[in-house]
Amino acid sequence: MLKFADVWKSYGNLTAVAGLFLEVRRGEIFGLLGPNGAGKSTTVHMAVGVLAPDKGTVTVDALGTPSLPDVRVRIGVAPQAISLYESLTGEENLAFFGRMYRLHGARLRARINSALQFVGLTDRKRDLIKTYSGGMKRRLNLAAAVLHEPELILLDEPSVGVDPQSRNLIFENILQLRSQGRTIVYTTHYMEEAERLCDRVGIMDHGKLLAVGTVPELLAQRGSKPELVVETNGKEVRLETEDPLGELNRLAAAGPVANFRLERPTLEQVFLNLTGRKLRD
Amino acid sequence: MLTILALAQKDLRILVRYKSGIFFTLIWPLMIAVMFGAIFSGDSDRMAKIKVAIVDEDATPDSSRFAERLEKSSEFEALRANREQGMTLVRKGRQTAVILIPKGFSEASSRLFYGTPPRVEVWIDPSRKAEAGMLQGLLQKQAAERMQTLLSDRAGSRDMVSKALDEIKTAPPSEGNAALGRYLGELDRFLGTPAQNAAGKQMGSWQPLEVTEKAISAGPSGPHPRNSFEITFPQGILWGIIGCVMTFGIGIVSERTHGTMARLQMAPISRFQLLAGKALACFAALAVLQSGLFLIARLIFHVRPQSWPLVFMAGFSAAAAFVGIMMLVSVLGKTEQAAAGAGWAVMMPVAMLGGGMIPLFYMPSWMAVAGNFSPAKWAILAMEGAIWRGFSLQEMLLPCGILLASGAACFLAGARAFRPTS
Repeated sequence: MLKFADVWKSYGNLTAVAGLFLEVRRGEIFGLLGPNGAGKSTTVHMAVGVLAPDKGTVTVDALGTPSLPDVRVRIGVAPQAISLYESLTGEENLAFFGRMYRLHGARLRARINSALQFVGLTDRKRDLIKTYSGGMKRRLNLAAAVLHEPELILLDEPSVGVDPQSRNLIFENILQLRSQGRTIVYTTHYMEEAERLCDRVGIMDHGKLLAVGTVPELLAQRGSKPELVVETNGKEVRLETEDPLGELNRLAAAGPVANFRLERPTLEQVFLNLTGRKLRD
Repeated sequence: MLTILALAQKDLRILVRYKSGIFFTLIWPLMIAVMFGAIFSGDSDRMAKIKVAIVDEDATPDSSRFAERLEKSSEFEALRANREQGMTLVRKGRQTAVILIPKGFSEASSRLFYGTPPRVEVWIDPSRKAEAGMLQGLLQKQAAERMQTLLSDRAGSRDMVSKALDEIKTAPPSEGNAALGRYLGELDRFLGTPAQNAAGKQMGSWQPLEVTEKAISAGPSGPHPRNSFEITFPQGILWGIIGCVMTFGIGIVSERTHGTMARLQMAPISRFQLLAGKALACFAALAVLQSGLFLIARLIFHVRPQSWPLVFMAGFSAAAAFVGIMMLVSVLGKTEQAAAGAGWAVMMPVAMLGGGMIPLFYMPSWMAVAGNFSPAKWAILAMEGAIWRGFSLQEMLLPCGILLASGAACFLAGARAFRPTS
């Protein structure tokens, strides 16, 4: 669906994206995970055609570069910064963005109602955006991105600064979009979100794509082994093991086990193993 | 085209909801037009008088009569004071100037054609220099009127001539005194004869110069300003245009800083459509603004343009020019504050040099020449041309052509420097 072939992008002396090879498959949620400044937003901006790569190509299906309006109309974007007009109502914002994406008349009205219902803002559609909470603005930002029913949806940090309730609603919306067959590129620096939502994850740092795969694949390839934490004889024992049940039985046979838990590897550990530093450093 | 219309419609909707933008776009220019219209309305009763303190140190009947003349003059709001009181009043800003009649005024007044002339001193507030020249002119006028009264009184004039002749007789003999004596002798005889001129008609009072003020118009029966609002409404409209341009220019910067411009860039629209939408919105707002102000001017202030088609031509050209300037304002700063500061820093001289604040005749000549580079000057000239100057279509081509050309140049420069993201 979306293909980056040896893509490079620099801002002056700063290399934002360095030699990116990536193919996002149709119908998947692809997560781009990395700390701030990793190059995720630059990648999204190149995917939508706002930025031209210094080198390499970005293509959407076989249609060509996303800088072409006819290709761009098939892409929906929810930028990291909430991009709505505060002096317009929710409905007016959607009507405006719909017209930018060639929707008109009855179809536009139907799509506005559908998008508002999708993000749960129908009852606030006639209120000015400046009266919305941060979470509501994020949800409307998402509605503007999916209004024209794009095949490819780029969501740049869509959960930043929202309350848990709105975050859950956004996650449900994204999973619903996947069930409709949409392809989604989701950038985040929250590993929990990537683990929860994404079919595949690409880990980026300093403009480079360090690893790509499903979460279990990444954990298996780049993560540590599960860690069994056992409290026995008043002491806490930590054991890295691929057979936690067997280890627990062995310890229980040796003495009483007061408590135990299993700590599974996370993408945080994967990132640590790949870069030598934590994701939020 | 639908995309451009949608972009323009969105901007106009935002403008309508932006209260301070509405104030500077509609209310402020109306206030300017009405305020200046009232000031320049030509109602002499309402004209501002120059506040002066009169100090009579000569204290003679002659100086007293001159002081009374100043007090009764319609141009002055005068009060009597001694020197110290007068200076204090000026220093505190309560009076504009002190007119001091020094000792010897009466004696000097009695001498005709010789000796030093009567003298008055004007002590003026340094911050009121603009009124100094006016004050000097008004004093000369009073002096001329005093001389007129004096020379119209044949008996009084004869006394003055006799006194001068007596002084010449006692003065050391010289060729000049002899000539003056002969001249005054003849004048004395003339004043002693009946008051008839060479044609045998009764002689009138003496007056150095009679000035009749008439307004220039296209012809004896041609159009001319019917009231002061026909002159001040173009100024008001100019301020409305500037307010509107600033609102739109800063609006573009605001879209850039709030990310909506970047969001639009991600939509399937071209840079041309984006800029055309902005330009169309600004142009439509300027058209509505000018139409609204002209309507108010017509219905309430009895402004009657000589030609509505030429008004349309002037309004169209002014709107096109300032849409271009709006594009330039939008690239002057990266933040709203920076763009507003830089925008007003550009707009104020543009308006000032164009005659939007101070009438051009008050400016030094180099500033009047510099005004030729201000679109404001040409916008006002085009509107005045259509309203009361009686411009023909051909005469309108120069200001309108300059406006269109400057608008195109500014728009291209602004569009070239335009960046959707900061």
